[in-house]
Order: sequence, then structure tokens, then C-alpha cells
Amino acid sequence: MAVVDVRNLTKTYKKNRGIVDVSFSIEEGEIFGFIGPNGAGKSTTIRTLLNIIFPTSGSATIFGKDIVKDSTEIRQNVGYLPSEVHYYDDMKVIDLLKYSARFHKNFKENRMNELASRLDLDLHRKIEDLSFGNRKKVGIVQALLHEPKLIILDEPTSGLDPLIQSHFFDLLLEERENGATIFFSSHILSEVQKICDRVAIIKEGKLIQVESIEYLTKNRVKNITVILDQPGLELIIPGAVIKEKKGNEISLLYSGEMKELLQGLNGFPIQDLLIEEPSLEEVFMHYYEK
Amino acid sequence: MIFQRELKRSRKSLIIWSLVLAGLIIWLLSIFPSFAKSQASMEALMESYPESIRQMFGMNQLNLGSLIGFYGLEVYMMVTLLGSIYAALLASNILAKEEGEKTVEFLLSKPISRSRIVSQKALAVFVNIIILNAVSAVSSLIGFQFAKDEDIPGKTFVLLSIAALLLHLTFASISFLFSSIMRKTRNTLSISLAVVIVTYFLNVISGLSEDLEILKYFSPFKYVDSANIISDNRIEPIFIVIMGILIAGSIAAAFFIYKKKDIAV
Repeated sequence: MAVVDVRNLTKTYKKNRGIVDVSFSIEEGEIFGFIGPNGAGKSTTIRTLLNIIFPTSGSATIFGKDIVKDSTEIRQNVGYLPSEVHYYDDMKVIDLLKYSARFHKNFKENRMNELASRLDLDLHRKIEDLSFGNRKKVGIVQALLHEPKLIILDEPTSGLDPLIQSHFFDLLLEERENGATIFFSSHILSEVQKICDRVAIIKEGKLIQVESIEYLTKNRVKNITVILDQPGLELIIPGAVIKEKKGNEISLLYSGEMKELLQGLNGFPIQDLLIEEPSLEEVFMHYYEK
Repeated sequence: MIFQRELKRSRKSLIIWSLVLAGLIIWLLSIFPSFAKSQASMEALMESYPESIRQMFGMNQLNLGSLIGFYGLEVYMMVTLLGSIYAALLASNILAKEEGEKTVEFLLSKPISRSRIVSQKALAVFVNIIILNAVSAVSSLIGFQFAKDEDIPGKTFVLLSIAALLLHLTFASISFLFSSIMRKTRNTLSISLAVVIVTYFLNVISGLSEDLEILKYFSPFKYVDSANIISDNRIEPIFIVIMGILIAGSIAAAFFIYKKKDIAV
């Protein structure tokens, strides 16, 4: 049974663009990615699913229940990490976590301590004294503490250092082992690629495609910038598409194997080499050229 | 959960306001004995006020020299006005602050219905106001001890206390309604206080002349006017009804609005 089933969900705002006719479904045990540029409608979709805002048209169910009518029931088993974390400024971390757990009536102190220590979070500090990243950690523990069946994460890794990010992903995979379903929204392609099974791509309020990660990674494109010692050299590498040539600098899009790229560059008088993630625009562009 | 939390959060403020109000009441009432002794100078004082002022403040109806008159004219104004300001401050941001401080995104992701959020917050407001009114009543009773040879008619005092409570609950409910509609706490605060202050002045001017008497229906302060309550020994039923409707209507509207609105984050 689909844990999340979205059907033609539309939210129109008076001024800003919302989402239009979004449909997708998430199966139990999936880690489902939701990717799109800033302002594409990811947060709008999530907030509509949680009934923080009301849909203009369309419907959705979570655990088979309607997101508007049965919202309170649904949220009993949902853990949510918003993109911006704001908590009551008079609370310590432990106060907030206990307060949050009281709503679910299943506070497990051991679990709280374990999660906090794995993320290196001091439970006894005041939340207002914490850095952005540490507040994010509070949000993560808050979202996972009550062992929810559906975990919704909106840009969860922003603010986390790479080590904590890695622990966080471990935690998510463990939750999945225990039967949880994860909905992961991000604009960072590499993260989504790392952990998700399937991915929905949203752009300008519309769902463009739902794809398995395998398929996306097959089309992995990188932005390569080669800075040579002298201008005017011809650089021919199979699988590379020259984007621009400016003096010493050649930038190209490459979608083949790194090994072959390096072999192709071997022998050239290279001063500097940049290998970068493409922007989502470029991914989409490349992606749809077929 | 929310109820307990709000009570805890507002405790300090409640204590401060209670102490201030109790202090003022007891202090004022302690002055009364010496005030009343100089009966002659008091009458002169009364005469010195122009007729219009005496009309406005109901001085013609009440005898400043009697304990109940003094209480009605001096102390009661404190209780009603300060209490109403407290009620407006408390209720006006209790809902809106969640949106203002953005904690609402956390709260609404928890398994709690919007109705429960509204009801628990409203309950916290009401409880705080009841406590403040209890403090005021007790302080008044303590203060009455200063006037050793005078006593206050029990029923009148009870009526005055109930009237004050209803007044505070009325302003609280109206402020609460604003709190459910708006999201910027500085707006809800300003408009709620404005309502209290404007209606206070409406009450004052309505006593000025016969033509302005119609204004009395627009000011809750008029509904609980001490001069009337004391001289008639009752609260006019129509006023009780109006306040009841305002309280019930505002709270019901707050429920409805908060239930249906998009919460902005």
C-alpha cells in the first residue's frame, strides 16, 4: 500500500506561484527524494501534506487517510523536520524534546539520549544559545524520537557539517530498516543521489518526472573547467561537450567515466582542473535533450 | 500540554500584575479613612469640579465619602482599566506569537488539532484572568478592613467583582479573536490595546451630554459602570447579555478562523 498518495494536488497563492497538479506516490519502506530548485514548490507540497496550508484543489492521503480531514491522526505517526527550525526560546533542548514527545505519548528517554549522542547534541543547553547547525540537530532528534512511520525532511542537511551529515544518513537508513518511509526534499542533487531510491523532480510548481536514482545516475553530468598553459589548444575528449572557450579556459560538460576523462586529458599542459556538480538547470537540460 | 505550558509561561507576568494591582488597591483603600474624616473638605472638593466632570465620572450618583462610593469611584477604575489592559496584552498575542516566532510549524506538525490549540490557549487566558480577579477581590476585602466603622454591602461588592471579571473576559475574547486572525504580534497588541483605550474614552465622554448617551452601548466600560451598579444594586441584564455574546462570539469566531486558515511560515 502506498504510504503517501498525492493526486492532482494544487495550491495557488495570490502573489507567488504554488504547486499545480502534483501527483506521485511513495511506497512503504522507500526513501523518496523530492528535488527541485529554490522556489519550485517543495516546501509548499510538504506543508500541504501536513495541513499547515490547505490545498486549492486535488487531494492526498497518508497511511490511507485524507490529509485534511484526518490530519491530526496522520501526524501521530509522522516526524517532520522543517527547512527552518524555530523553537520556543525559553526551552532547553531536553525540554523541547520531552514536550514534543508528550504529544505522541511514547517518550523513550534512552532513545533520546542515544540520538543526541550520535549527533553530538548537548541536551542541556538552551536552544536560543545554539548555532544554526545544532538547532537543526534538535530538529532531527525531534523528528525521529517518537519512531514515526513516515519521516518528512525539508532540506535536512543545510547547516550540518559533513561528519554529522554522514551520521544523519546512517540514522535514516536504520529507520528504514525498522520499517519507516522517508520523504526527503532537497536542492542538492548529490545528497538525493546518495540516499534515495526514487526521486521526483519538481520545477516551477509542476512535477516533471519521477525517476529511480539508478536512471538519474546513469546520466551523471559534470561541469569540467580546464585551464591550460596556453590558449588555442584543441581538446577532444569522447563524451565531452564543449560549452565555452575563453582564452586559456575551456569549460565542458562530461557524462562519461572519470578514468577516461583523465586519460584523455593526460599529456595536455594543464594548469588547473575543476570538476564540479552541475546546476540543476543543466541536469534538467541535459536530461531532456534526448 | 499547551494549557500547562502557557500557564507556566505567563506565570511571571501574572504575579507581577497581581502584585501591582493588589498593592494599588490596598494602598488606595488605606487612604480612605483619613480621606473620609475630612468630610467638609471633601464636599468642597466635589463642588470644585465642574458639573460636566461630575456627570462624566458619575460623581453625582456616588458619595465619595462612603466606602462603597470611594471604592466605586477610585479603586474600581483601577481594577477595570488595568485588568482590561492585562487581558488585552495576554490574549492578543497568545495565538499570534506562534506564527510571529515561527514555532507554529513545529506545533502544527504534532498530532494536535487546531481546535485543541485554540481551546487550550483560550483556557489559559481565562484562568489567568480569573486568578487576577480573585487577587483583586481579596485585596479589596483586605483593604476594606482599613475602614473600621464602615462596611460594604456584600451583594454590591459581589456584583462589582463579577462585572469586572466579565469586562476583562470581554476584552480578552476580542483580543483573542484578533490573535487568531493576524500573525504579527505587534499588530495584535496595538489593536487590542487600542480597543481598550478607545472604549474607555468613549465611556468617559458618553457621560458628558444626553446626545452622547448612545455611545454607552459601544463601550464595555459603560456596561460595568460602578455608579450604576452601586446605585441600582444590579448589573443591567442587557449589558450582561452583550458581554456574553461578545465573549462567546469572539471565541467561536477565533476557533472557526484558526481552523480554516493557511498558517504562514
